[in-house]
Amino acid sequence: MAAPYTPELNKVHNEKVPIQDSLITETSEMQDETARVCEGLILEGQLPNLNRSAHVEFLQVPLQNRLPASFTGLDASKPWIMYWPLQGISLLDPLALSPADSSRVSASVFACISPTEGGFGGGHGQIAHLASTYAALNALAISQDREAWSALDRKKIYGYLLAMKCEDGGFRMHHGGEEDVRAIYCALASAALLNIMTEELVAGSAEWISRCQTYEGGIGGAPDNEAHGGYAFCGLAALCLLGNPIETVPKYLDLANFIQWLSARQYQPEGGFSGRSNKLVDGCYSWWVGGCWAILEGLMPALRMGSDVIWSKADLQKYILCCCQSASGGLRDKPGKSADFYHSCYVLSGLSVVQHRYKISPQKRESKLGEWSLMWDYEAEDEKVVKVVAANAVGPLNPVHVLPWGVAEMMHDFYAKQ
Amino acid sequence: MAYLEQYNWDDIAPIPQNDGGENAVAPIAYSDEYRIAMEYLRAVMRVNEFSDRALKLTEDVIYMNAAHYTVWQYRTRILFALDKDLCQELIWVEGVGRRFTKNYQIWNHREVIIEKLGDPSRELPFIESMLELDSKNYHVWSYRQWLVRRFDLWATEVPFTDMMLELDVRNNSAWNHRFFAIFGRAEAVLSSVVDDEIEFTKSAIFTAPQNPSAWNYLLGVLKKSGRPLSDLEQFCLTLSDLTKTFPATSSSTTTSHEEDILSARAIEVLAEIYAERNDFPRATHAWTLLAERYDCVRENYWNFKKRSAVSRLAGCA
Repeated sequence: MAAPYTPELNKVHNEKVPIQDSLITETSEMQDETARVCEGLILEGQLPNLNRSAHVEFLQVPLQNRLPASFTGLDASKPWIMYWPLQGISLLDPLALSPADSSRVSASVFACISPTEGGFGGGHGQIAHLASTYAALNALAISQDREAWSALDRKKIYGYLLAMKCEDGGFRMHHGGEEDVRAIYCALASAALLNIMTEELVAGSAEWISRCQTYEGGIGGAPDNEAHGGYAFCGLAALCLLGNPIETVPKYLDLANFIQWLSARQYQPEGGFSGRSNKLVDGCYSWWVGGCWAILEGLMPALRMGSDVIWSKADLQKYILCCCQSASGGLRDKPGKSADFYHSCYVLSGLSVVQHRYKISPQKRESKLGEWSLMWDYEAEDEKVVKVVAANAVGPLNPVHVLPWGVAEMMHDFYAKQ
Repeated sequence: MAYLEQYNWDDIAPIPQNDGGENAVAPIAYSDEYRIAMEYLRAVMRVNEFSDRALKLTEDVIYMNAAHYTVWQYRTRILFALDKDLCQELIWVEGVGRRFTKNYQIWNHREVIIEKLGDPSRELPFIESMLELDSKNYHVWSYRQWLVRRFDLWATEVPFTDMMLELDVRNNSAWNHRFFAIFGRAEAVLSSVVDDEIEFTKSAIFTAPQNPSAWNYLLGVLKKSGRPLSDLEQFCLTLSDLTKTFPATSSSTTTSHEEDILSARAIEVLAEIYAERNDFPRATHAWTLLAERYDCVRENYWNFKKRSAVSRLAGCA
């Protein structure tokens, strides 16, 4: 038997794909234009540095300033405009967050609680919402404010999570709201942080997620919906929350088809990921797709699928550093778009996936429900796979919770010891 | 603000916003109009007031922030409590949809309204007008699927995707919807329908041989209907004739047959077909072409496929 072919590692692919169809449609025009613009920013043989201080400064804006009225559209997403910058800053420079900031964060998060329902809403006086609840608890986790952790009414939050559960195993985002795979992820991630995971909460959810895998291999928002990077992450991460992922992931997903679809998300010459077939690359999928890779890389050795990286970390790093950095600070979807907090958070989380290898270590904890998302370890990625210069290094994270590494574990254990 | 001009609010004590104290993070410098409207909204919601003035207030708030899911949910409760004309509501929502094309609260709102009304007749034209603005709008397509299933509107759907694919054969949402339209129903799909879909998709691939949407659909149809991948061997060879490049000398792929290679995906499918019949040299040749020339950014994936095939073969031996 011939020895397996050894790839030349750390290679980036800046050239166009050799076959271009002659038929022009709206999709191909947009794709060609995006590829052209990105090509112009990709410099042969060199990578720009991460403009760390500018990005930290950009992300400090919601923490230190009053946001202008143009942010009114995010008034129903207040916990998110706390979580996104906190996650981004934690990856860039954890010391930039002071204990004083932490107590301000927790007071602001608590203002979003719906006192009647128990969950968190998008702001003061708003009904509870699972996405707001997830973002609020993640922000509280990063704040590490134990006084705030003690003050949470976990029983009431559990009641809220259960009230969002549907008979078919899915969850609704809010009372009278839509049922989708995000809701499952947000509910279960919240339950793990608060150490309130139960069999009742997870019953039927794995089957519901399984129904969301499409013929393309990816996961849609609900059964029959189009495969999409964001929902793919939510579905995969939820499977890592509701059981032992080494068992649940291959049981509820057609893994070969999922990996095939995930692999097709990376584009040449851009190097970044798209969220759906025939859509454009977008920096935020550095996380939604990259996060799937982080999880799969962690599971592959246990699934006897080898331990090699099966996508191009070097090309994603190239897209992030060349195309996603806004000159005035913050990270963005693609060249020509403005930076925002959402993209900053998920582009930087994607950069963390490039730079680290995540793995699940079941021996770290007792094998039981509620613990499975807290067994993730990391090491720096091998420099044969991707060269990371110190100036560009970002911190590690928990790939299921999308939190700085160690924080989810700390919050969970705080409650477990009570 | 219409709600203030048209109604008396003297009996309502507005509830000021609490962001979490003086030092709150992420406060927004709202316009006065928005701030005051929210103060009234909190006050009427606290007492579950279902009234015309509250309805007007929700309208004004939605114009200022259509992403405010709470106000949509409250609006629905008012509409139902006051037994309002729901057709009128649908017309109003259409205006909101056109004004805020990215908004997705309207789709859940519409679903709740239509469910109550039991009449979907306005929906398909509205959906089509929204897809004209953004032919891949995820929420619009999801809503259409809900509608089709809920009201058994299957008959229109395949012709609708014909039309959408005529406009842009790379519209993946339209392909996904077609799969739903064919296979989403409870009853079994006739073999002749599957034949037609395969032929339809092959023709589409000939117009754009690199189009991943059509390829995914083709492979999806085959798998769903239990047909073997090897059915596609001749079709793939027509698009990418690997018989001319094989056997390659060493692993060199700079062949003189590039005009014979129109589709990287055809190479990928051929590799799968060869691997299924344990023709490892041919499968490796195909994966090597992809890794070294036709889809290089996925080089690590193609090498993974090779390694997996090697270990599978070793397992058989």
